[in-house]
Amino acid sequence: MIEYVLKTSHLSKQFKNQTALNKVDLSIKKGSIYGFIGQNGAGKSTLIRIISGLASPTTGTVELFVHSNGQALNEARKRIGTMIEGPALYPHMTAVENLEAHRLLKGIPGKECIEKTLELVGLQGTGKKKARNFSLGMKQRLGIAIALLGDPEFLILDEPINGLDPMGVVEVRELLKKLNQEYGITILISSHILSELHLLATHYGIIHKGHLLEQLTLDELNKKCKQYLHIKVDNPEKAAAVIESNLSTREFEVLPDGLIKLFGFVDTPGIVSSILVNEGLVIEHFMPMGQDLESYFMERIGGVHHG
Amino acid sequence: MGNLIKSEWYKLKKDRSFWLLTFLLVITSIGYPLLIVMDEATLAVKVNDFYQYSVLGGNNYVIKLVPCILAGFFISSEYSNGTMKNMVASGNSRIQLYFAKLIIFSVGTMVISLILPLLMTGASAVYFSFYEMPDLGYFLQTIWLTALYGAAFASIMALFATLLADSGKAIGFMLIFFILFDSVLYSVANNISMFEPVFNYSVFKLLLEIVNVSALSSGEMTKMIVVPVVTFIVFGLLGSILYKKKEIK
Repeated sequence: MIEYVLKTSHLSKQFKNQTALNKVDLSIKKGSIYGFIGQNGAGKSTLIRIISGLASPTTGTVELFVHSNGQALNEARKRIGTMIEGPALYPHMTAVENLEAHRLLKGIPGKECIEKTLELVGLQGTGKKKARNFSLGMKQRLGIAIALLGDPEFLILDEPINGLDPMGVVEVRELLKKLNQEYGITILISSHILSELHLLATHYGIIHKGHLLEQLTLDELNKKCKQYLHIKVDNPEKAAAVIESNLSTREFEVLPDGLIKLFGFVDTPGIVSSILVNEGLVIEHFMPMGQDLESYFMERIGGVHHG
Repeated sequence: MGNLIKSEWYKLKKDRSFWLLTFLLVITSIGYPLLIVMDEATLAVKVNDFYQYSVLGGNNYVIKLVPCILAGFFISSEYSNGTMKNMVASGNSRIQLYFAKLIIFSVGTMVISLILPLLMTGASAVYFSFYEMPDLGYFLQTIWLTALYGAAFASIMALFATLLADSGKAIGFMLIFFILFDSVLYSVANNISMFEPVFNYSVFKLLLEIVNVSALSSGEMTKMIVVPVVTFIVFGLLGSILYKKKEIK
Protein backbone atom coordinates (compact mmCIF):
# COMPACT_ATOMS: atom_id res chain seq x y z
CA MET A 1 0.00 0.00 0.00
CA ILE A 2 1.35 3.41 -0.97
CA GLU A 3 2.05 5.61 2.01
CA TYR A 4 1.52 9.34 1.62
CA VAL A 5 2.97 11.97 3.90
CA LEU A 6 0.76 14.67 2.45
CA LYS A 7 -2.56 14.78 0.69
CA THR A 8 -4.66 17.81 -0.01
CA SER A 9 -8.23 17.53 -1.10
CA HIS A 10 -10.08 20.25 -3.01
CA LEU A 11 -7.89 22.82 -1.32
CA SER A 12 -8.88 26.39 -2.18
CA LYS A 13 -7.76 29.76 -0.94
CA GLN A 14 -9.53 32.98 -1.76
CA PHE A 15 -8.08 36.44 -1.07
CA LYS A 16 -10.90 38.97 -1.53
CA ASN A 17 -11.39 38.84 -5.32
CA GLN A 18 -8.38 36.68 -6.08
CA THR A 19 -8.30 32.90 -6.10
CA ALA A 20 -4.83 31.86 -4.97
CA LEU A 21 -5.60 28.13 -4.96
CA ASN A 22 -8.39 26.37 -6.77
CA LYS A 23 -9.45 22.88 -5.66
CA VAL A 24 -5.91 21.53 -5.42
CA ASP A 25 -5.63 17.76 -4.98
CA LEU A 26 -1.98 17.11 -4.32
CA SER A 27 -0.35 14.00 -2.92
CA ILE A 28 3.23 13.33 -1.92
CA LYS A 29 4.45 9.79 -1.47
CA LYS A 30 6.66 8.87 1.44
CA GLY A 31 10.31 8.84 0.44
CA SER A 32 9.91 11.03 -2.63
CA ILE A 33 11.46 14.36 -3.56
CA TYR A 34 8.56 16.38 -4.87
CA GLY A 35 9.49 19.26 -7.15
CA PHE A 36 6.83 21.92 -7.02
CA ILE A 37 6.87 24.07 -10.13
CA GLY A 38 5.04 27.27 -10.87
CA GLN A 39 5.52 30.89 -11.81
CA ASN A 40 5.59 33.69 -9.24
CA GLY A 41 2.07 34.05 -7.86
CA ALA A 42 1.01 30.62 -9.13
CA GLY A 43 0.07 29.52 -5.62
CA LYS A 44 3.15 27.56 -4.52
CA SER A 45 3.87 29.58 -1.39
CA THR A 46 0.18 29.79 -0.49
CA LEU A 47 -0.07 26.01 -0.57
CA ILE A 48 3.13 25.61 1.44
CA ARG A 49 1.89 28.17 3.98
CA ILE A 50 -1.38 26.26 4.40
CA ILE A 51 0.44 22.93 4.83
CA SER A 52 2.68 24.53 7.47
CA GLY A 53 -0.25 26.04 9.36
CA LEU A 54 0.61 29.68 8.65
CA ALA A 55 -2.64 30.22 6.79
CA SER A 56 -5.93 28.40 6.72
CA PRO A 57 -7.68 27.23 3.56
CA THR A 58 -10.98 28.76 2.46
CA THR A 59 -12.23 25.26 1.63
CA GLY A 60 -10.74 21.79 1.40
CA THR A 61 -8.54 19.72 3.66
CA VAL A 62 -4.89 19.01 4.37
CA GLU A 63 -3.91 15.52 5.47
CA LEU A 64 -0.44 15.25 6.97
CA PHE A 65 0.74 11.78 8.00
CA VAL A 66 -2.94 10.74 7.71
CA HIS A 67 -4.04 13.41 10.20
CA SER A 68 -6.40 16.04 8.91
CA ASN A 69 -8.19 17.44 11.93
CA GLY A 70 -7.32 20.35 14.24
CA GLN A 71 -5.02 19.32 17.04
CA ALA A 72 -3.88 16.04 15.41
CA LEU A 73 -2.92 17.91 12.23
CA ASN A 74 -1.00 20.46 14.27
CA GLU A 75 0.75 17.67 16.20
CA ALA A 76 1.70 16.10 12.85
CA ARG A 77 3.45 19.37 11.98
CA LYS A 78 6.00 18.51 14.68
CA ARG A 79 7.24 15.86 12.23
CA ILE A 80 8.02 18.36 9.50
CA GLY A 81 10.80 20.88 8.96
CA THR A 82 10.17 24.03 6.98
CA MET A 83 11.92 26.86 5.26
CA ILE A 84 9.27 29.11 3.80
CA GLU A 85 9.97 32.10 1.56
CA GLY A 86 13.63 32.25 2.52
CA PRO A 87 15.57 31.56 5.70
CA ALA A 88 13.96 32.91 8.89
CA LEU A 89 16.77 33.85 11.28
CA TYR A 90 17.45 35.97 14.34
CA PRO A 91 19.98 38.37 12.79
CA HIS A 92 21.62 39.32 16.09
CA MET A 93 22.34 35.70 16.99
CA THR A 94 25.12 33.38 15.83
CA ALA A 95 24.39 30.15 13.95
CA VAL A 96 24.62 28.14 17.18
CA GLU A 97 22.35 30.57 19.03
CA ASN A 98 19.78 30.50 16.21
CA LEU A 99 19.70 26.73 16.38
CA GLU A 100 19.55 26.78 20.19
CA ALA A 101 16.46 29.04 20.11
CA HIS A 102 14.80 26.63 17.68
CA ARG A 103 15.97 23.57 19.60
CA LEU A 104 14.23 24.91 22.70
CA LEU A 105 11.14 25.81 20.65
CA LYS A 106 10.89 22.27 19.33
CA GLY A 107 11.64 20.78 22.73
CA ILE A 108 14.59 18.72 21.46
CA PRO A 109 16.61 17.32 24.37
CA GLY A 110 20.40 17.73 24.38
CA LYS A 111 22.55 20.23 22.51
CA GLU A 112 24.47 17.64 20.47
CA CYS A 113 22.07 18.02 17.56
CA ILE A 114 23.25 21.61 16.99
CA GLU A 115 26.84 20.80 16.03
CA LYS A 116 25.68 17.74 14.09
CA THR A 117 23.22 19.81 12.05
CA LEU A 118 25.70 22.62 11.43
CA GLU A 119 28.20 20.07 10.20
CA LEU A 120 25.59 18.54 7.91
CA VAL A 121 24.99 21.88 6.16
CA GLY A 122 28.66 22.91 6.20
CA LEU A 123 28.33 25.74 8.70
CA GLN A 124 30.54 24.41 11.47
CA GLY A 125 33.09 26.85 12.79
CA THR A 126 31.20 30.08 12.09
CA GLY A 127 31.96 31.00 15.70
CA LYS A 128 30.74 34.37 16.94
CA LYS A 129 29.75 35.67 13.53
CA LYS A 130 26.17 36.97 13.69
CA ALA A 131 23.63 35.71 11.18
CA ARG A 132 23.16 39.25 9.86
CA ASN A 133 26.77 39.15 8.64
CA PHE A 134 26.35 35.83 6.82
CA SER A 135 26.40 35.68 3.03
CA LEU A 136 23.08 34.82 1.37
CA GLY A 137 24.32 31.28 0.80
CA MET A 138 25.24 30.87 4.47
CA LYS A 139 21.83 32.19 5.48
CA GLN A 140 20.17 29.64 3.19
CA ARG A 141 22.21 26.85 4.77
CA LEU A 142 21.32 28.03 8.25
CA GLY A 143 17.65 28.13 7.22
CA ILE A 144 17.96 24.53 6.04
CA ALA A 145 19.75 23.61 9.28
CA ILE A 146 16.85 25.04 11.29
CA ALA A 147 14.41 23.01 9.19
CA LEU A 148 16.51 19.89 9.82
CA LEU A 149 16.54 20.23 13.62
CA GLY A 150 14.66 17.44 15.31
CA ASP A 151 15.14 14.93 12.46
CA PRO A 152 11.95 15.73 10.53
CA GLU A 153 10.35 13.05 8.38
CA PHE A 154 9.11 15.60 5.86
CA LEU A 155 11.06 18.63 4.75
CA ILE A 156 9.35 21.58 3.06
CA LEU A 157 11.78 23.93 1.34
CA ASP A 158 10.62 26.99 -0.54
CA GLU A 159 13.33 28.20 -2.93
CA PRO A 160 16.24 26.72 -0.92
CA ILE A 161 18.90 27.36 -3.57
CA ASN A 162 18.15 31.04 -4.13
CA GLY A 163 21.31 33.07 -3.83
CA LEU A 164 23.67 30.12 -3.68
CA ASP A 165 26.80 30.10 -5.83
CA PRO A 166 27.22 27.16 -8.26
CA MET A 167 29.25 25.20 -5.69
CA GLY A 168 26.61 25.91 -3.06
CA VAL A 169 23.85 24.70 -5.39
CA VAL A 170 25.69 21.43 -5.94
CA GLU A 171 26.30 21.02 -2.20
CA VAL A 172 22.66 21.63 -1.31
CA ARG A 173 21.57 19.21 -4.05
CA GLU A 174 23.90 16.54 -2.70
CA LEU A 175 22.73 17.26 0.85
CA LEU A 176 19.06 16.90 -0.09
CA LYS A 177 19.79 13.68 -2.01
CA LYS A 178 21.66 12.34 1.01
CA LEU A 179 18.81 13.28 3.38
CA ASN A 180 16.35 11.56 1.07
CA GLN A 181 18.36 8.45 0.29
CA GLU A 182 20.18 7.82 3.57
CA TYR A 183 17.71 9.20 6.10
CA GLY A 184 14.51 8.53 4.14
CA ILE A 185 13.29 12.11 4.49
CA THR A 186 10.49 13.06 2.13
CA ILE A 187 11.11 16.47 0.58
CA LEU A 188 8.81 19.04 -0.98
CA ILE A 189 10.92 21.58 -2.80
CA SER A 190 9.86 24.57 -4.83
CA SER A 191 12.37 26.29 -7.04
CA HIS A 192 12.52 28.54 -10.05
CA ILE A 193 15.70 26.80 -11.18
CA LEU A 194 14.00 24.01 -13.08
CA SER A 195 17.19 22.47 -14.42
CA GLU A 196 18.25 21.96 -10.81
CA LEU A 197 14.89 20.46 -9.87
CA HIS A 198 15.20 18.07 -12.78
CA LEU A 199 18.45 16.74 -11.28
CA LEU A 200 16.87 16.21 -7.90
CA ALA A 201 13.16 15.50 -7.87
CA THR A 202 11.54 12.11 -8.25
CA HIS A 203 8.03 13.52 -8.58
CA TYR A 204 6.68 16.78 -9.95
CA GLY A 205 3.65 18.97 -9.52
CA ILE A 206 2.94 21.82 -11.91
CA ILE A 207 0.79 24.63 -10.58
CA HIS A 208 -0.49 27.56 -12.61
CA LYS A 209 -2.81 30.35 -11.53
CA GLY A 210 -3.91 28.35 -8.51
CA HIS A 211 -4.69 25.17 -10.47
CA LEU A 212 -2.60 22.04 -10.05
CA LEU A 213 -2.23 21.21 -13.74
CA GLU A 214 -0.43 17.92 -13.41
CA GLN A 215 1.43 15.57 -11.09
CA LEU A 216 3.90 13.16 -12.60
CA THR A 217 6.84 10.96 -11.75
CA LEU A 218 10.34 11.47 -13.12
CA ASP A 219 9.83 8.51 -15.50
CA GLU A 220 6.59 9.97 -16.78
CA LEU A 221 8.24 13.35 -17.20
CA ASN A 222 11.13 11.84 -19.13
CA LYS A 223 8.69 10.10 -21.44
CA LYS A 224 6.80 13.31 -21.97
CA CYS A 225 9.93 15.37 -22.52
CA LYS A 226 10.08 14.13 -26.08
CA GLN A 227 13.34 13.33 -27.82
CA TYR A 228 13.64 14.69 -31.34
CA LEU A 229 16.03 15.28 -34.22
CA HIS A 230 16.97 18.89 -34.72
CA ILE A 231 17.46 19.37 -38.47
CA LYS A 232 18.47 22.33 -40.58
CA VAL A 233 18.45 21.97 -44.38
CA ASP A 234 18.69 24.32 -47.34
CA ASN A 235 15.00 23.80 -48.23
CA PRO A 236 12.76 23.21 -45.20
CA GLU A 237 9.49 23.02 -47.20
CA LYS A 238 10.85 20.26 -49.43
CA ALA A 239 12.32 18.51 -46.41
CA ALA A 240 8.91 18.58 -44.68
CA ALA A 241 7.29 16.99 -47.72
CA VAL A 242 10.02 14.34 -47.95
CA ILE A 243 9.71 13.47 -44.25
CA GLU A 244 5.93 13.20 -44.52
CA SER A 245 5.97 10.99 -47.62
CA ASN A 246 9.13 8.90 -47.13
CA LEU A 247 8.98 8.44 -43.34
CA SER A 248 5.16 8.37 -43.21
CA THR A 249 5.00 10.65 -40.18
CA ARG A 250 3.46 13.97 -39.24
CA GLU A 251 5.28 14.03 -35.91
CA PHE A 252 7.42 17.00 -36.80
CA GLU A 253 7.42 20.78 -36.57
CA VAL A 254 8.85 23.35 -38.94
CA LEU A 255 9.86 26.33 -36.86
CA PRO A 256 9.65 29.90 -38.22
CA ASP A 257 13.45 30.03 -38.66
CA GLY A 258 13.37 26.92 -40.88
CA LEU A 259 14.57 24.47 -38.27
CA ILE A 260 12.77 21.14 -38.19
CA LYS A 261 12.00 19.17 -35.01
CA LEU A 262 11.39 15.55 -35.97
CA PHE A 263 10.01 13.35 -33.22
CA GLY A 264 10.30 9.57 -33.01
CA PHE A 265 13.47 8.89 -35.08
CA VAL A 266 16.14 9.62 -32.47
CA ASP A 267 17.26 6.01 -32.50
CA THR A 268 17.54 5.88 -36.33
CA PRO A 269 19.15 9.15 -37.41
CA GLY A 270 21.02 7.46 -40.27
CA ILE A 271 17.80 6.54 -42.07
CA VAL A 272 16.53 10.12 -41.83
CA SER A 273 19.79 11.71 -43.03
CA SER A 274 20.18 9.31 -45.95
CA ILE A 275 16.59 9.96 -47.13
CA LEU A 276 17.14 13.72 -46.99
CA VAL A 277 20.47 13.49 -48.82
CA ASN A 278 19.01 11.12 -51.45
CA GLU A 279 16.32 13.71 -52.18
CA GLY A 280 19.06 16.29 -52.90
CA LEU A 281 18.77 18.27 -49.72
CA VAL A 282 21.85 19.80 -48.12
CA ILE A 283 22.00 19.13 -44.38
CA GLU A 284 23.46 22.07 -42.48
CA HIS A 285 22.66 20.84 -38.96
CA PHE A 286 21.54 17.48 -37.66
CA MET A 287 21.45 16.60 -33.99
CA PRO A 288 19.36 14.53 -31.58
CA MET A 289 17.85 16.76 -28.86
CA GLY A 290 15.53 16.40 -25.88
CA GLN A 291 12.90 18.68 -24.37
CA ASP A 292 13.91 19.72 -20.86
CA LEU A 293 11.75 20.34 -17.80
CA GLU A 294 11.69 24.06 -18.53
CA SER A 295 10.34 23.52 -22.05
CA TYR A 296 7.82 21.01 -20.79
CA PHE A 297 6.69 23.40 -18.04
CA MET A 298 6.29 26.24 -20.53
CA GLU A 299 4.33 23.96 -22.84
CA ARG A 300 2.00 22.94 -19.99
CA ILE A 301 1.24 26.46 -18.86
CA GLY A 302 0.77 27.60 -22.43
CA GLY A 303 3.78 29.91 -22.56
CA VAL A 304 6.43 30.35 -25.24
CA HIS A 305 9.85 29.00 -24.49
CA HIS A 306 12.80 30.68 -26.11
CA GLY A 307 15.45 28.00 -25.64
CA MET B 1 4.59 24.87 27.20
CA GLY B 2 7.79 24.57 29.25
CA ASN B 3 9.94 24.36 26.12
CA LEU B 4 8.21 27.42 24.65
CA ILE B 5 8.88 29.45 27.78
CA LYS B 6 12.51 28.31 27.77
CA SER B 7 12.83 29.34 24.12
CA GLU B 8 11.29 32.78 24.78
CA TRP B 9 13.48 33.26 27.85
CA TYR B 10 16.54 32.39 25.78
CA LYS B 11 15.49 34.96 23.16
CA LEU B 12 14.86 37.65 25.80
CA LYS B 13 18.32 37.06 27.22
CA LYS B 14 19.75 37.55 23.72
CA ASP B 15 17.59 40.59 22.95
CA ARG B 16 19.86 43.60 22.60
CA SER B 17 17.03 46.11 22.98
CA PHE B 18 16.21 44.60 26.38
CA TRP B 19 19.79 44.97 27.59
CA LEU B 20 20.15 48.45 26.11
CA LEU B 21 16.95 49.67 27.79
CA THR B 22 18.03 48.05 31.05
CA PHE B 23 21.45 49.67 30.80
CA LEU B 24 19.97 53.12 30.12
CA LEU B 25 17.59 52.79 33.07
CA VAL B 26 20.44 51.64 35.34
CA ILE B 27 22.53 54.65 34.26
CA THR B 28 19.53 56.94 34.87
CA SER B 29 18.91 55.33 38.27
CA ILE B 30 22.45 55.93 39.39
CA GLY B 31 22.99 59.25 37.63
CA TYR B 32 19.79 61.19 38.30
CA PRO B 33 19.92 61.24 42.13
CA LEU B 34 23.62 62.10 41.83
CA LEU B 35 22.68 65.22 39.87
CA ILE B 36 20.30 66.18 42.68
CA VAL B 37 23.03 65.65 45.24
CA MET B 38 25.31 67.92 43.26
CA ASP B 39 22.53 70.48 42.95
CA GLU B 40 21.20 70.54 46.51
CA ALA B 41 22.48 69.83 49.97
CA THR B 42 22.31 66.07 50.56
CA LEU B 43 20.47 66.34 53.84
CA ALA B 44 17.79 68.55 52.33
CA VAL B 45 16.25 65.62 50.42
CA LYS B 46 14.30 62.93 52.22
CA VAL B 47 14.60 59.50 50.58
CA ASN B 48 10.90 58.86 51.19
CA ASP B 49 9.85 62.06 49.40
CA PHE B 50 12.26 61.36 46.58
CA TYR B 51 10.87 57.82 46.27
CA GLN B 52 7.23 58.94 46.20
CA TYR B 53 7.48 61.93 43.89
CA SER B 54 10.53 61.41 41.72
CA VAL B 55 10.96 57.64 41.53
CA LEU B 56 7.34 56.45 41.43
CA GLY B 57 6.18 59.54 39.53
CA GLY B 58 8.85 59.09 36.87
CA ASN B 59 8.38 55.34 36.79
CA ASN B 60 4.77 55.79 35.62
CA TYR B 61 6.21 56.93 32.27
CA VAL B 62 8.76 54.13 32.25
CA ILE B 63 6.05 51.46 32.73
CA LYS B 64 3.89 52.89 29.95
CA LEU B 65 6.52 53.84 27.40
CA VAL B 66 9.81 51.93 27.66
CA PRO B 67 8.32 48.41 27.23
CA CYS B 68 6.73 49.62 23.95
CA ILE B 69 10.24 49.57 22.49
CA LEU B 70 10.86 46.09 23.85
CA ALA B 71 7.51 44.91 22.44
CA GLY B 72 8.52 46.18 19.01
CA PHE B 73 11.80 44.27 19.03
CA PHE B 74 10.83 41.21 21.05
CA ILE B 75 7.40 40.54 19.52
CA SER B 76 6.84 42.43 16.26
CA SER B 77 10.31 41.74 14.85
CA GLU B 78 9.48 38.00 14.91
CA TYR B 79 7.13 38.80 12.02
CA SER B 80 9.59 40.94 10.05
CA ASN B 81 12.46 38.44 10.55
CA GLY B 82 10.14 35.66 9.41
CA THR B 83 10.94 33.68 12.56
CA MET B 84 7.25 33.73 13.50
CA LYS B 85 6.75 31.32 10.57
CA ASN B 86 9.14 28.84 12.17
CA MET B 87 7.33 29.20 15.49
CA VAL B 88 3.88 28.55 14.05
CA ALA B 89 5.06 25.75 11.74
CA SER B 90 6.68 24.00 14.73
CA GLY B 91 3.38 22.29 15.49
CA ASN B 92 2.89 23.94 18.88
CA SER B 93 -0.53 25.32 19.75
CA ARG B 94 -0.84 28.98 18.83
CA ILE B 95 -2.46 29.79 22.18
CA GLN B 96 0.54 28.32 23.99
CA LEU B 97 2.95 30.13 21.69
CA TYR B 98 1.20 33.43 22.43
CA PHE B 99 1.09 32.96 26.18
CA ALA B 100 4.73 31.84 26.33
CA LYS B 101 5.65 35.03 24.48
CA LEU B 102 3.38 37.14 26.70
CA ILE B 103 4.68 35.63 29.94
CA ILE B 104 8.32 36.26 29.07
CA PHE B 105 7.56 39.71 27.65
CA SER B 106 5.76 40.49 30.93
CA VAL B 107 8.82 39.33 32.87
CA GLY B 108 10.96 41.65 30.74
CA THR B 109 8.52 44.51 31.34
CA MET B 110 8.51 43.84 35.08
CA VAL B 111 12.32 43.94 35.14
CA ILE B 112 12.28 47.25 33.27
CA SER B 113 9.54 48.61 35.55
CA LEU B 114 11.41 47.73 38.74
CA ILE B 115 14.83 49.17 37.90
CA LEU B 116 13.96 52.72 38.95
CA PRO B 117 12.07 51.82 42.15
CA LEU B 118 14.81 49.46 43.29
CA LEU B 119 18.03 50.89 41.95
CA MET B 120 17.25 54.60 42.00
CA THR B 121 15.88 54.29 45.52
CA GLY B 122 18.97 52.35 46.57
CA ALA B 123 21.29 54.89 44.97
CA SER B 124 19.40 57.85 46.42
CA ALA B 125 19.46 56.24 49.90
CA VAL B 126 23.24 56.11 49.70
CA TYR B 127 23.58 59.62 48.26
CA PHE B 128 21.07 61.12 50.75
CA SER B 129 22.67 59.28 53.68
CA PHE B 130 19.53 57.17 54.33
CA TYR B 131 17.67 60.30 55.48
CA GLU B 132 13.96 59.52 56.11
CA MET B 133 13.77 56.16 54.36
CA PRO B 134 10.36 54.94 53.08
CA ASP B 135 8.50 52.52 55.32
CA LEU B 136 9.45 48.95 54.33
CA GLY B 137 5.83 47.74 54.14
CA TYR B 138 4.87 50.68 51.91
CA PHE B 139 7.97 50.15 49.78
CA LEU B 140 7.23 46.45 49.22
CA GLN B 141 3.56 47.15 48.41
CA THR B 142 4.53 49.70 45.76
CA ILE B 143 7.14 47.33 44.35
CA TRP B 144 4.81 44.43 43.76
CA LEU B 145 2.01 46.67 42.52
CA THR B 146 4.50 48.18 40.04
CA ALA B 147 5.36 44.67 38.83
CA LEU B 148 1.66 43.81 38.55
CA TYR B 149 0.85 46.94 36.55
CA GLY B 150 3.92 46.32 34.38
CA ALA B 151 2.46 42.91 33.45
CA ALA B 152 -0.98 44.46 32.77
CA PHE B 153 0.52 47.05 30.42
CA ALA B 154 2.62 44.29 28.83
CA SER B 155 -0.55 42.39 27.90
CA ILE B 156 -1.94 45.48 26.13
CA MET B 157 1.37 46.08 24.33
CA ALA B 158 1.62 42.43 23.27
CA LEU B 159 -1.82 42.72 21.65
CA PHE B 160 -0.79 45.81 19.66
CA ALA B 161 2.57 44.30 18.72
CA THR B 162 0.79 41.20 17.39
CA LEU B 163 -1.77 43.30 15.55
CA LEU B 164 0.77 45.58 13.86
CA ALA B 165 3.42 42.89 13.22
CA ASP B 166 6.11 45.42 12.28
CA SER B 167 8.56 46.69 14.85
CA GLY B 168 8.75 50.27 13.53
CA LYS B 169 5.00 50.68 13.22
CA ALA B 170 4.36 48.97 16.55
CA ILE B 171 6.82 51.13 18.49
CA GLY B 172 5.61 54.37 16.86
CA PHE B 173 1.94 53.60 17.34
CA MET B 174 2.29 52.40 20.92
CA LEU B 175 4.39 55.35 22.06
CA ILE B 176 1.78 57.77 20.73
CA PHE B 177 -1.06 55.65 22.11
CA PHE B 178 0.37 55.33 25.61
CA ILE B 179 1.35 59.01 25.77
CA LEU B 180 -2.10 60.21 24.76
CA PHE B 181 -4.57 57.54 25.76
CA ASP B 182 -5.03 58.32 29.46
CA SER B 183 -5.54 62.03 28.69
CA VAL B 184 -8.04 61.14 25.96
CA LEU B 185 -9.82 58.67 28.23
CA TYR B 186 -9.86 61.26 31.04
CA SER B 187 -11.45 63.90 28.77
CA VAL B 188 -13.99 61.42 27.42
CA ALA B 189 -14.87 60.28 30.95
CA ASN B 190 -15.29 63.89 32.07
CA ASN B 191 -17.65 64.68 29.23
CA ILE B 192 -19.54 61.41 28.85
CA SER B 193 -20.56 59.95 32.18
CA MET B 194 -20.88 56.38 30.92
CA PHE B 195 -17.11 56.35 30.31
CA GLU B 196 -16.34 57.48 33.86
CA PRO B 197 -16.24 53.94 35.31
CA VAL B 198 -14.11 52.82 32.36
CA PHE B 199 -11.53 55.45 33.28
CA ASN B 200 -11.81 54.86 37.03
CA TYR B 201 -11.33 51.13 36.62
CA SER B 202 -8.56 51.37 34.04
CA VAL B 203 -4.91 50.55 34.65
CA PHE B 204 -4.13 53.97 33.19
CA LYS B 205 -5.73 55.74 36.15
CA LEU B 206 -4.95 53.21 38.86
CA LEU B 207 -1.24 53.23 37.99
CA LEU B 208 -1.15 56.78 39.34
CA GLU B 209 -2.63 55.55 42.64
CA ILE B 210 0.30 53.24 43.48
CA VAL B 211 2.03 56.12 45.24
CA ASN B 212 -0.99 56.47 47.58
CA VAL B 213 -1.20 52.77 48.41
CA SER B 214 -0.72 53.34 52.16
CA ALA B 215 -3.79 55.58 52.26
CA LEU B 216 -6.13 53.23 50.37
CA SER B 217 -9.05 51.42 51.99
CA SER B 218 -9.22 47.64 51.69
CA GLY B 219 -11.91 47.97 48.98
CA GLU B 220 -9.72 50.31 46.98
CA MET B 221 -6.75 48.01 47.51
CA THR B 222 -8.78 45.10 46.14
CA LYS B 223 -9.59 47.23 43.11
CA MET B 224 -5.88 48.05 42.73
CA ILE B 225 -5.10 44.32 42.52
CA VAL B 226 -8.10 42.98 40.60
CA VAL B 227 -8.03 45.52 37.75
CA PRO B 228 -4.50 44.72 36.48
CA VAL B 229 -5.10 40.99 36.91
CA VAL B 230 -8.33 41.19 34.89
CA THR B 231 -6.60 43.45 32.33
CA PHE B 232 -3.81 40.88 31.92
CA ILE B 233 -6.27 38.02 31.47
CA VAL B 234 -8.64 39.89 29.12
CA PHE B 235 -5.91 41.33 26.90
CA GLY B 236 -4.01 38.04 27.03
CA LEU B 237 -7.09 36.19 25.79
CA LEU B 238 -7.88 38.84 23.16
CA GLY B 239 -4.29 38.71 21.92
CA SER B 240 -4.27 34.92 21.80
CA ILE B 241 -7.55 34.85 19.83
CA LEU B 242 -6.15 37.42 17.41
CA TYR B 243 -2.92 35.42 17.08
CA LYS B 244 -4.82 32.18 16.54
CA LYS B 245 -6.74 33.66 13.63
CA LYS B 246 -3.87 35.64 12.18
CA GLU B 247 -2.38 34.62 8.84
CA ILE B 248 1.39 34.66 9.27
CA LYS B 249 3.14 36.38 6.38
